[in-house]
Amino acid sequence: MKLVITLLLGFCFGSLLIATQAYSWFRIQEMFHFDSFHMYGVLFSAIITASICLILIKKFKIKTISGQPVILNPKKLEWKANIIGGILFGIGWGLTGACSAPLYILVGMHYKIGISLFLGAMTGVLLFGLVDKKLPK
Amino acid sequence: MYNFLPWYIAGPLIGLIVPLLLLLREKQFGISSSYRFIGSKFFKKIDYFNYKSGADKWQFQFAIGVVLAGIFSLYAGVIQVDAVANNSTKYSEIANTIYASSNILYFFIGGIFVGFGSRYANGCTAGHCIMGVSQFSVSSFVATICFFIGGLFASYVLIPLFFKI
Repeated sequence: MKLVITLLLGFCFGSLLIATQAYSWFRIQEMFHFDSFHMYGVLFSAIITASICLILIKKFKIKTISGQPVILNPKKLEWKANIIGGILFGIGWGLTGACSAPLYILVGMHYKIGISLFLGAMTGVLLFGLVDKKLPK
Repeated sequence: MYNFLPWYIAGPLIGLIVPLLLLLREKQFGISSSYRFIGSKFFKKIDYFNYKSGADKWQFQFAIGVVLAGIFSLYAGVIQVDAVANNSTKYSEIANTIYASSNILYFFIGGIFVGFGSRYANGCTAGHCIMGVSQFSVSSFVATICFFIGGLFASYVLIPLFFKI
């Protein structure tokens, strides 16, 4: 059951990104060139919706499906990692027009490009795993 | 007429994935930890991948759902969206053929940045931009700003160099 819910939510998420073209290289270039509000609208309205939901969950102490309280673990601040890693990720995002979710979309949609993108990402993660402890955090 | 879902419908619906994941699966929205999970199946000898990967298994399943959406879109006939290059910018011409097989190496190299950066920054657009910023986490604000700095550099400097425009 859990598997079905996870797959379904992933499917919905992916389909929304496709339907609104957020996976598209063109849309990402358009965003970085400030030629259209579209991607900013997608991001801002997603963040605002999520934020309102989180506030409501907290305010009304809404429980999860198994009756547990919702626990949030904000990512801890690692200045150097967030800045250097963020810029590197941004370069990848700008070059390929794909962040992590669109990467998986492309695996399904344009498998030749998608799989080479995925193998690139895995190479990047492997490199990170090798130097992880030596990097400034 | 739109041939794509306008942002004011798609954005809020994407935002709803956050509470749905929290309430139905007790998970925080994110997707790039799936790389580490996949890595844990192959590179167990490297410390970084030798971890309790069970906690990230759901993200791998979530990612499979996203791949299925990509495959489904091919058969649902919604894909006229690659060629959205309807304005006359320098990048719109490149956009029309960007997913051609000749760009495989280009995407591989870009992918290295995506993978390395997302794990170093401890999150990507989903985990930092949407999940983190919506809970007002400082690290996510910092990361999001840096995603944009990197993206602007790629768009204005690297892409013109690479495609000679």
